[in-house]
Amino acid sequence: SISSSAASESDSEQLQKEQHARSVLREGFLRCLLSMTNKKVQFQMYENVKVEATFGASDIDVLNFQVSDLHTPIGVQKEALIRCQDVISFTFDI
Amino acid sequence: MDCDWPLLGPLRWLHYVNKQVKVRTGKGDEHSGWLLSVDPVSASAVLLTFSETAASVRVVMGHAVKEVEVLREADEVTAERLRAALLPPSPPSLDP
Repeated sequence: SISSSAASESDSEQLQKEQHARSVLREGFLRCLLSMTNKKVQFQMYENVKVEATFGASDIDVLNFQVSDLHTPIGVQKEALIRCQDVISFTFDI
Repeated sequence: MDCDWPLLGPLRWLHYVNKQVKVRTGKGDEHSGWLLSVDPVSASAVLLTFSETAASVRVVMGHAVKEVEVLREADEVTAERLRAALLPPSPPSLDP
């Protein structure tokens, strides 16, 4: 692909703006995860399942949450991983 | 606004930050709150709701977001409260 220098300049400016926005947003999200550590979190999942657990950590690409004391309908699971794909939303108090 | 939320990208997500929004999920639930941030990796929306005494955060996973509607913008006081919401308590002074 051939691009004029003017085009590539405005492209890189656009890219820089986008990267800045990305970093601001990611920082906000990471602060949210940080403030959630060791707190009781209510997860709303598919099939109308609601569970509560103590939040531990998330992997960087937000695919799994590590939680403790997961209260499920069939008992309490001491340690668990929750697949983020199964989660609709979650809430906690700050 | 009806949109493909996960595909909007950081610049357009940023427009929603610090605004009171109503997020509709694929399951038909609605969650209102002040949008603190959107994770650029998972497109998950972080919503803050607060009263005089308490505050809670709800995160709606990006894959579940169907629609986001802007209700209103934050005034000065609310904007300050949103900025401070997730910041860690200020570190102790290191001055002697």
